[in-house]
Amino acid sequence: MLTRRLVVCLDVQGGRVVKGVQFESLRDVGDPVALAVRYEREGADEIVFLDISASAEARATLLDVARRTAERLFVPLTIGGGVRTADDVGRALRAGADKVSINSAAVATPEILTESAYRYGAQCVVASIDAKRDGDRWRVYVKGGKVPTELDAVAWACECVRRGAGEILLTSIDRDGARTGYDLPLTRAIADAVCVPVVASGGAGEARHVVDAITEGGADAALVAGILHDGVTTVRALKAAMQAAALPVRVTV
Amino acid sequence: MDALLRCTVFDYGAGNLHSLVKALEPATGPVRIETDAAAAVHETDLLVLPGVGAFGLAAECLAAGRDAMRAAILDGLPTLGICLGMQLLFAESEEAPGMGLDVLPGRVTRLRAQRVPQIGWNTVDDVTDPAAREAPLPAVYYANGFVCRPVDVSVVTGWTTHDGDRFPAIVRRGATVGVQFHPEKSSAAGVAFVHAIVHGVARGTLSQGAR
Repeated sequence: MLTRRLVVCLDVQGGRVVKGVQFESLRDVGDPVALAVRYEREGADEIVFLDISASAEARATLLDVARRTAERLFVPLTIGGGVRTADDVGRALRAGADKVSINSAAVATPEILTESAYRYGAQCVVASIDAKRDGDRWRVYVKGGKVPTELDAVAWACECVRRGAGEILLTSIDRDGARTGYDLPLTRAIADAVCVPVVASGGAGEARHVVDAITEGGADAALVAGILHDGVTTVRALKAAMQAAALPVRVTV
Repeated sequence: MDALLRCTVFDYGAGNLHSLVKALEPATGPVRIETDAAAAVHETDLLVLPGVGAFGLAAECLAAGRDAMRAAILDGLPTLGICLGMQLLFAESEEAPGMGLDVLPGRVTRLRAQRVPQIGWNTVDDVTDPAAREAPLPAVYYANGFVCRPVDVSVVTGWTTHDGDRFPAIVRRGATVGVQFHPEKSSAAGVAFVHAIVHGVARGTLSQGAR
C-alpha cells in the first residue's frame, strides 16, 4: 500500500538554508546538504529545496547544492524556485533533482508543464500553487505569493494536471507560517478535483495538523518546514503521530 | 577507488544520475557513464539502465544502438533496469511510440489507478527475488505512471499494488533484472539492495544460464 509522505522543505538562498525571522530578515540556519541528510536519517520521506534567492547569480549556486546533495541523499529531492523554462527543469534534474516544482512560470506559460512532461516524464513535474481564500473560493497568487492572478485554484490545479503536471504542491498563503493547521477545505477541494498526488503545505503547527491534512484534507503528503527548523517537533515525532493515527507510513529505524 | 567490477550506466539524457552512481560505487568502484547505447555494452560486467524520463525520448536515444544493446543483454550481459529503465526492457509502451529493447516479452501500460502517477513509498509483496532476500526491502520509492505487463509472470520476483492495480515491482530472467521502484531513492535499504544486485553479478549468480 502506498504510504503517506512527510516532506521536509528547506528555503535556500545563495547556497545556504535560511529562515525568515518575523517575516523580515533572514537568518542562516545551515548547510543544505548536511540538513537534508540529517532529515533523511530522521525519517523524512522527501526533501524540497525552495530557492528564494532574488538574483540569477544566487540561484545558480542551487544547482551546485543539488549536485552535492544528490551524492549523499538517498530519498527524493524536489527543487523549486526560479524555474522559467523546460530547459531549467532539465538542468535541475541533471544537477540532482528528482522532481522540479514550477510556480509562476506555469501561470505565465502553461506550456512549460507540457514540454517538461514530454521530455522528462510527468512524474518529475510538480505544479506548485500558492492559493489564498477569496470569498467562497481560492485565488491563485504568483511571485512568491505576492501577486494575485485571475485564476481559481481548483480550476488551475485541474488545468496543470491536464497540461502534464504529475503532482500538485499546494500552499495556503493564509496559513503559511501561522501554525494553525493546513487549509483543509482548500486541500480537500483540490485533492477531490485532480487525479494526481497532492502535497499540502502551509500551516503545520503540530503533529495533529499533519494527520488532518491527510485524513480530512485528502492529501497524499504533508510538507513541513518551520516547526522542524525551530525545534518545535521532529520528523520522528511527526512520523510516529501519523503511524499512531493508523496512516500507512514508511517506518524507519 | 579500484574497479571491483566494471559497471556502465547508460545515460539517455533525462535525469539525475548522481544518486545512482553514488549508490553503486561502494560496491562496484568507479562507474562509467555512457551516452552511446552500443558502446555502453562494451567491456562492462554490469549494465545499468537508469530511470528518469519519458519512454518516447528514451527510445529515441536508444534507437541507434538498440540492436547492439539487445544482443548483448540476450547474450547474458548482467543488466539492471530501474523504473523507465525496467520498462525499456520490454517491447513497447502506451506512453509513447518507440521501440524498447524487447528482451522480456510484454508491454508497458498506463497504471490503472485513481491517482496516477504513483508517487511515494510502497511495499514490495510476494518477494522471491534473491537480491531482495539478501537485502530485504521495506517500503521503497516509486514515481511512475506506467507499469510493465510481462507475458510470462514467472519472471516477476516481487509485486506491488497501487489503488487495486497489481504490477511487477521486480522482474528477473537470467542475468536481466528490472525494478519499478528507485532503489537509489529508497534510503539505506534501497542502497543495500543495489549492492546485493552487484554482489550477485560478482558471484556470477546474476549471469547464470548465460554466456
